[in-house]
Amino acid sequence: MSKQFQFKLVLLGESAVGKSSLVLRFVKDQFDDYRESTIGAAFLTQTVTLEHNTSVKFEIWDTAGQERYKSLAPMYYRNANCAVVVYDITQPASLEKARTWIRELQRQADPSIVIALCGNKGDLEARRQVSQEEAKKYADEEGLMWGETSAKSGDGVSDIFMAIAKKLPLTAPPPRAGASRNTPGRPAVDLNKQAAGDSNDPCAC
Amino acid sequence: EDAQKSEKLIREKSIRTNRRNKFVDCLGAQDVNITELRKLAWAGIPEDFRPMAWQLLLGYLPLPTPLRTSTLARKRQEYLSLVEVAFARDREGLDQQIWHQIEIDVPRTRPGVRLWMHASTQRSLERILYVWAIRHPASGYVQGINDLATPFFQVFLSAYIDINPEDFDTGLLPKHVLDAIEADSFWCLSRLLDGIQDNYIFAQPGIQRSIRRMTELVARIDPALSSHLEAQNVEFMQFAFRWMNCLLMREISVQNTIRMWDTYLVEGPDAFSQFHLYVCSAFLVKWSDKLRTMDFQGIIMFLQSLPTQGWGDHEIEMLLSEAFVLNSIWHNAQSHFNGK
Repeated sequence: MSKQFQFKLVLLGESAVGKSSLVLRFVKDQFDDYRESTIGAAFLTQTVTLEHNTSVKFEIWDTAGQERYKSLAPMYYRNANCAVVVYDITQPASLEKARTWIRELQRQADPSIVIALCGNKGDLEARRQVSQEEAKKYADEEGLMWGETSAKSGDGVSDIFMAIAKKLPLTAPPPRAGASRNTPGRPAVDLNKQAAGDSNDPCAC
Repeated sequence: EDAQKSEKLIREKSIRTNRRNKFVDCLGAQDVNITELRKLAWAGIPEDFRPMAWQLLLGYLPLPTPLRTSTLARKRQEYLSLVEVAFARDREGLDQQIWHQIEIDVPRTRPGVRLWMHASTQRSLERILYVWAIRHPASGYVQGINDLATPFFQVFLSAYIDINPEDFDTGLLPKHVLDAIEADSFWCLSRLLDGIQDNYIFAQPGIQRSIRRMTELVARIDPALSSHLEAQNVEFMQFAFRWMNCLLMREISVQNTIRMWDTYLVEGPDAFSQFHLYVCSAFLVKWSDKLRTMDFQGIIMFLQSLPTQGWGDHEIEMLLSEAFVLNSIWHNAQSHFNGK
């Protein structure tokens, strides 16, 4: 028998780091060089299939990045089960912004929220200004998942969502139950490295 | 039946000609009668009269003909000086935060439309947005303001060329013409934004207020829809924020927007907040039957990509009429309720 779980996912991050492009790649496997800026937030869904006939449906709120829209964000992360906080590997300031979002999530969001830090624009390696080590170290310290993606080439995109799907508690539907599940010492998962014991899964890159 | 059809066409043509003649009389006067212009423009302005009519309605162009040349020359020169001062030093002299945001938004303003992909148009838009932003520090540049600049630019450009402005490369214009279009767009955008500045300041109270009022209004004019949305946990903020922030420009075509602004400009500086919320309410209620059969996900997805692609003047005019009726019935009632 197949089981389907639904989770709310919110995307946060500075303007123009590629949040909408990341979702567009994940949901429709498309990419546009120029897309209109997101105003307020956009809603999309996508379902991924895990082993044992289990599937996870993500209800995604892709938020606007500009500082002025910041006061809207709580409405979108309030009930979120997971968050993808995006930065641009060519813009160090965008990692700073990501840290601010993560601090806010840690303070204000549901304590059980699964947070992934995502370095986008991996295709612009020549212009890289944020090292993998730096971002990974920070993610480890905060107990976040971490990975790099390129919405343009598609690299790493499904992996990060797949890894989140695996990390979500698939034991307790409805997924919003149990607001006090706090896992402070949760180990970081390196999405760019093969996780031990996961070797039979082609998606864990 | 054919006879009926052709009779209808003839009648419509004669109405159009009649309207054109009225515009010719009105705009050709030594001293334009603004009341008369408003009356005419509410129902839409013919394309070739629009650049002038918009500038008159916005109070940018003086009503008496003899004052116009000198006023325009002064305003255009003033804008040039503002640009000169703002960009006097090199890039490092710019407000970095504002410039950064404008720089990333300009290339993604109306992507795919040739006019807006040309470097020359993009440089103009950058200057318009940057100069406006540094003159309005309480809001600065906010995403969506870039959208609002585009109808002005396209309409004013249309006065100088014979082809569709959206296909035109502004790099082909003589410098003084491009400067004039840019300056006129800047001043007219400024006037529009004067009426909705609290949409863009910290916490965006203007938008919050409009959405609150829209929620109350829809509850009264379409209780079934209102309770369905509530039952599905749909919050107006989730879809109407963009409707207010970009004045429905992401929901309808630029041609639709331009027609809509003919009427908004007649309604006065408050129209882009007050009248607009009635337009948004009428716009939502239009889809009521469909929305009431949908769940949360269906509703949100439908509302963020509405089937308005085929909309022409007729649909916009229906919407404006509905909004007008709502406005006349509810405006005083709402003011009373809000203790205004």
